[in-house]
Amino acid sequence: MTLTSKSFEIFCGTGGVGKTTLATARGIALAKAGKRVLLITIDPARRLKDLLGLSGDQVGEVVPVEVIGVKLHALLMSPEKTILRMSQKYQKPDLATNRIVQILSRPYGGMNEILSLVEVQMQFETGSYDVVVLDTPPGAHFLDFLESLSKIRSFFDQNFMEIFSYLGQKTAQAGKKVFGRGIINRFISGGVRKLLSYLEAVTGGQFIDDFIQAVQIIYQSKDAFMKGLSLQDRLKSPRECNWFLVTSVEQGKASEAIELRSHAGHFIHQDHFLVLNKCLAKDLETWTPTDLKMKAVKKSLTDNEQDLKGLLRNVFPMVLEFPEVISLSPIEHLKHLTEKWNSYASQS
Amino acid sequence: MTKPRRLYIFTGKGGVGKTTLAKAFTRCLLEHDLQAAYVTLQNQSLGERNTGTKDSKVDGIREISLDLEDAARGYIEKKLGSKLIASWIVKTPFFRALVNMMPGFSYLIFLGKMLQLGADDPRLILVLDAPASGHALTMIESTTNFQQIFESGAIFDDTMKMLSRLNDPEYTKIHVVSLPSLMSWQEAQELRAGLIQRTPVTVDITVNNCLYPLLEENLDELPAGLREKALYERQLVSEHRDQMRCVLPHSLARDTALVQADLLGSLPNLI
Repeated sequence: MTLTSKSFEIFCGTGGVGKTTLATARGIALAKAGKRVLLITIDPARRLKDLLGLSGDQVGEVVPVEVIGVKLHALLMSPEKTILRMSQKYQKPDLATNRIVQILSRPYGGMNEILSLVEVQMQFETGSYDVVVLDTPPGAHFLDFLESLSKIRSFFDQNFMEIFSYLGQKTAQAGKKVFGRGIINRFISGGVRKLLSYLEAVTGGQFIDDFIQAVQIIYQSKDAFMKGLSLQDRLKSPRECNWFLVTSVEQGKASEAIELRSHAGHFIHQDHFLVLNKCLAKDLETWTPTDLKMKAVKKSLTDNEQDLKGLLRNVFPMVLEFPEVISLSPIEHLKHLTEKWNSYASQS
Repeated sequence: MTKPRRLYIFTGKGGVGKTTLAKAFTRCLLEHDLQAAYVTLQNQSLGERNTGTKDSKVDGIREISLDLEDAARGYIEKKLGSKLIASWIVKTPFFRALVNMMPGFSYLIFLGKMLQLGADDPRLILVLDAPASGHALTMIESTTNFQQIFESGAIFDDTMKMLSRLNDPEYTKIHVVSLPSLMSWQEAQELRAGLIQRTPVTVDITVNNCLYPLLEENLDELPAGLREKALYERQLVSEHRDQMRCVLPHSLARDTALVQADLLGSLPNLI
């Protein structure tokens, strides 16, 4: 088994399994080893904030932090702030002020995953970091994150041109410049006009106009989004990226991890790790209960964990186990998990 | 027993036992001679892996699995009076982008469909196995968001209606499911606080999968780690018991159906 650090380290998985803590510990372990590390979380629960002691007004900004004596940088994703940075960097002021774009980039809006990719790309481009550790949102979100790559592509895709051809006629010059595609478009736009008239009956006309304007503004920042998209190739490369799929014994969701693996199969390369958190096995081994009920408890817990490990090892080439850390202090958790990461790194 | 609501939403992070609990709760309603169905939402965006809405009986429980495209098509069909046009609209890239990019649009469509199911059969109680916690907030938020987005039109009126239904404490009740760990508990409380800010319906927390009730009589013979875990769970529960609607012990059963059976006794508490 080899666990060497890469430019990008991505943590995915179901919620509540300690994914954010593990990602943070990974960042600390790498920083301790001398790497310049940026830790980005797009987890809406923003638990990293508690762990790193970041206050509210720093959300969306890169801040230097020091945890258990190790220095690194951290960024809690805020889609709004990313939009603002994009609009400044690429000089598209409309991007930051449009009402619908603002709504689209709210937490849980359709632009969250796209924006997080753009953010990772913009941050890495600064050249200030050796490693960017990315903690993605939990559960079904994980797939959204992977699929955002195809979503963004289809958004700027030819298929979508039909709407812009209509925009070209309906609104300003800007549309025409980008989308003037002649006779075929005029043909399609007949269909679009019909579509919009139907939709207006459902949604009201003002909304359709607003949404079209927002789409147009986003489209004008196409280059910035496409740059984020170019990151896809690097994330697919085993030389540049480690993927960590995190689950926990407690939540015993082998089926979910396996499902994630199969859905993500076309995207994640072979160099990925299944991280199994909160293992009790070491503790259970030392337990020799006498009473029948306790024997049953031990058997139940041991069997659960063994079944889970068996299933996971069948599906994933590399399984990293982390013990359950029983402590009320998040710092204790980080210390233990950082040590465990170090021990995995030195094994390879 | 309290008067049953029409819609129960089970929410919480993945792996806390939401699905098992929601199914067991549906069974519990059936045992009280109520009509109930267990509901899941299949896809969050249009255009991928469309599997169609399924409505079937599994182990004696009615399971409804809602499909986003079906629900959207159904709604538009109702508004425009044409199945053909509705089918065309949901397939267009523009409409797909609209639904996929707008925060919570998919939930608005799902909610509409669920309230419709409720209206079609006035005795039916829906038990929704809602997606991970952030999403449950989006779901509640989506109706308010859309009031701001759509200033007029049929969907605006429908959103208003939906909102009043969803926010009716007699109609809806929300159960947040947590594990007996500090992090999980804090998240559950955060989620509850977020929900309470946005809706006047009852939001209760249930703590699932507690090991300590099984272990506490034999604390002395446990290995150190396990003992600490049991003590720590017990402390967490005793400190916050007043904020927990229900505390459910870990089930030793290996089979999901048996786990559900184990839970049944405690569940009338959640009605």
